[in-house]
Amino acid sequence: MLPYLRFELLRMLRDRRFVLFTVAFPLGIYLLFSHLDDGGQRDGGITLASYLLVAMAAYGAMGATLSAGSARMAAERSSGWIRQLRATPLPAHGYLTVKLAAGMLLALPALLVVALAGVLTGGVHLPPLHWVELLGLLWLGALPFAGLGILLGCLLDATSSQPAMIASYMLLAVLGGMWAPVDAMPRALRTAAHALPSYHFADLGWRAIAGSAPAPADLLTLAAYAAGFGALAIWAWRRRVAAR
Amino acid sequence: MQTDVSTVPAATFAAVGKRYGPVTALDGVDFEIRRGETVALLGPNGAGKSTTIGLLLGLERPDSGRIAVLGGGPEQAVAAGRVAAMLQEGGLPPGATVAELVDFVRQLYPRPLPLGEVLELAGLADLAGRRSERLSGGQAQRVRFALAIAGNPELAFLDEPTTGMDVEARHAFWDRMRAFAAQGRTVLFATHYLEEADAVADRALVLQRGRVVADGPVTAIKARTSRRVVRCTLPGAEERTLGRLPGVTEVSLHGDSVRLTTGDADATVRALFAAGLPVHDLEVTGGGLEEAFLALTGSSAAEA
Repeated sequence: MLPYLRFELLRMLRDRRFVLFTVAFPLGIYLLFSHLDDGGQRDGGITLASYLLVAMAAYGAMGATLSAGSARMAAERSSGWIRQLRATPLPAHGYLTVKLAAGMLLALPALLVVALAGVLTGGVHLPPLHWVELLGLLWLGALPFAGLGILLGCLLDATSSQPAMIASYMLLAVLGGMWAPVDAMPRALRTAAHALPSYHFADLGWRAIAGSAPAPADLLTLAAYAAGFGALAIWAWRRRVAAR
Repeated sequence: MQTDVSTVPAATFAAVGKRYGPVTALDGVDFEIRRGETVALLGPNGAGKSTTIGLLLGLERPDSGRIAVLGGGPEQAVAAGRVAAMLQEGGLPPGATVAELVDFVRQLYPRPLPLGEVLELAGLADLAGRRSERLSGGQAQRVRFALAIAGNPELAFLDEPTTGMDVEARHAFWDRMRAFAAQGRTVLFATHYLEEADAVADRALVLQRGRVVADGPVTAIKARTSRRVVRCTLPGAEERTLGRLPGVTEVSLHGDSVRLTTGDADATVRALFAAGLPVHDLEVTGGGLEEAFLALTGSSAAEA
């Protein structure tokens, strides 16, 4: 399975749109807005530079994990490539395992690049272990989005999955507070945001960068979404792709 | 490649049936493919060729009957890397070179062929560095063949491997396939061209509407499909006289123009002239493949 994983990583890193969306774009936004930081503390006791660091790292990681499945996978389904792979000794779970692993691994550059920018230009300074905790939580917290990406890839066809993925990505990002703080939103939107995994994903990071312990609500919500999307993705795979 | 001297057949279908909703794809299909054979699975579109290959690979399950591949279940043979396939519409993923693609698929198998040998065998040595999205239809087809042979399988299933190739590319392809099969391997390929079966296969299995209507050496099958149509202009033609000519099975007349269906065109034409009839504009055409299949179905129904 490792040769297949290497092959997938190579293909995704060569995809300019993918790199633009998950690394270049969040990095650009970070560089553009983090210098507006006046040193003042915001809600949760963190600076704008820290707030944005988490928001953009989370945004990039979410994009990377979502798009490992989604349109890419829908295209591989309709072109017959998945069927061709099923006629090789690749284990039955091999395709999904590799897509999941590729999405998770490609979330790392998105996280690391924005974090590095935070250190170099945003004046965000944390002890090494604190960085490990922050990035580790943001990395694991991206798991539900990898599951959602695979679910979309199983359910939608090649033409509808691209807009569906972008729509869910934007909705999750906006209501996750990655573009503007959720606390400043109208009450109805705030309630909706609190029900979504993206808000809890970013909140995990904001709490970690402020030095607080992870909130149980964030951990539980993300775990529940990861399990839910994962189970649905496996069900959809069996129903829609590997049905005999 | 390891030589297996056992007498276990390469593949067996016993009374296999498969339905998709109300459509019967296969209706009690029986056959056996022996080790080392090159067999053509011949039939028009919708005859059940792709379904047969999907079942042989365990991608689909039969509704009835039994399937064995190399002595075990199809899934086992695929998982063990003893079987490989070139499927119809096996779209290649973008973003990788031909060599990268072939190499990773090769590494999924326990005893693959060396990369250089696969590229050579598939006629891809010059295209190794080309990105998959920049290949022509015929080139992509060669890559898909390379994917089927990369794992050094004992048994390969090729579903309409020459689709989208021009005549020259077809000939080159069959040369490569023969070279691959010559090393003791078993090959089953689906096609709807009788000539392809004739050129490459030891044996043909003819499928029509989900049933095997002929199974034997290609020459024997060709003889059974030797029906020809003789057309000519013959003033004052009489249906009764024409029907008595040797080989003729069917006569149709439209004024002076005559259309004779015959099982022996040589004898029919000879007799036409020998009878001193004022025949002109003579034309002999082979029955199309569809007609040939109809002939086969008709005769098998008559034998039953």
